[in-house]
Amino acid sequence: MTDRAIKLLVIGESGVGKSSLIRRFVENKFDENHDVTIGMDFKSKVMNIDGADFKVALWDTAGAERFRSLTPSFYRKALGAILVYDITNRDSLVKLEAWLAELDSYSDNPNIAIIVVGNKIDQERVVDREEGRKFARKHRALFIETSAKCDQFVSDVFKDIVEKIVSSDFGNGNGSNSINIGSNQDLEEPTSTCYC
Amino acid sequence: MDELLNDVVPQEDLERFEKKYHHELELDGEVTSETKFEYAFCLVRSRYTNDIRKGLMFLEDLARTHPDGRRDYIYYLAFGNARIKNYTEGLKYCKAFLEIESNDQVRSLEEYIKKQSDKEVAKGMAVAGGAALVLGGILGLGIAMSRNKQKRDK
Repeated sequence: MTDRAIKLLVIGESGVGKSSLIRRFVENKFDENHDVTIGMDFKSKVMNIDGADFKVALWDTAGAERFRSLTPSFYRKALGAILVYDITNRDSLVKLEAWLAELDSYSDNPNIAIIVVGNKIDQERVVDREEGRKFARKHRALFIETSAKCDQFVSDVFKDIVEKIVSSDFGNGNGSNSINIGSNQDLEEPTSTCYC
Repeated sequence: MDELLNDVVPQEDLERFEKKYHHELELDGEVTSETKFEYAFCLVRSRYTNDIRKGLMFLEDLARTHPDGRRDYIYYLAFGNARIKNYTEGLKYCKAFLEIESNDQVRSLEEYIKKQSDKEVAKGMAVAGGAALVLGGILGLGIAMSRNKQKRDK
């Protein structure tokens, strides 16, 4: 099987845990300090999906306002976008609308796969799970809640979106008549809380 | 890290922010720090060394005059210097950054620059070693030839 590259973007407000999710997934580390991302960062990991290796390139964007005008070129050629909000901060979910609009206008892939991620389930919740799910459904995105700190459902974020991309893009050669099992599938994870 | 450093700015981005920069300069006689940074951010990701150098100049200037954005400027000063293999300068900026703030992203860049610069040193030594071998070979040949000549002269 040949190695194939999949470019994923991670976007969302500053401080919601974009870099932490990536760091947990790639290096299995977590740092309580909030290292504010400067411009763009990059990490990659090889994932095996149904026996084939895929090199997943994760482009981490700065959530900070001053980089907004500078990051659109990174949207190009992305096959998937991971939209992150913080379940302890409603505004971060509201702002995802604006991030989606940005994605819409700058992405060159009309079929870009999207997953909405509510992070920080280890903390006291402000945003109901249902709110996040509704938002995701409205935008035909996958949905999941995670804790980068406690390593809950973090790898599922990447597995779900890459599987969706693989099933639709690399499906079966011509791709036209492949059965897309992954789409519109909403993840029913048990609601769990952890106090670590 | 290679991917990040090898990612070249799209030409239209560079042109767009260059235009914005010159437009402000012509209109107001000065350029806001945002516009200057946008242009510098594109320049340091250009494929041309001269662009990168120009971007570094802007960033140095911004770091001096606009303390609010200093962490961004210092990071991209390290980044740009790494791209043109100015490893000593690059490391200097990484260190300066990490003295103020612990940051995983900057630590990765620092590690990468250290590795690259060690590689360059090793390469330099290999070249120097190779030159010594060649020189030794020439000398050896000369000695052998002169001995040969002596033999014939006898």
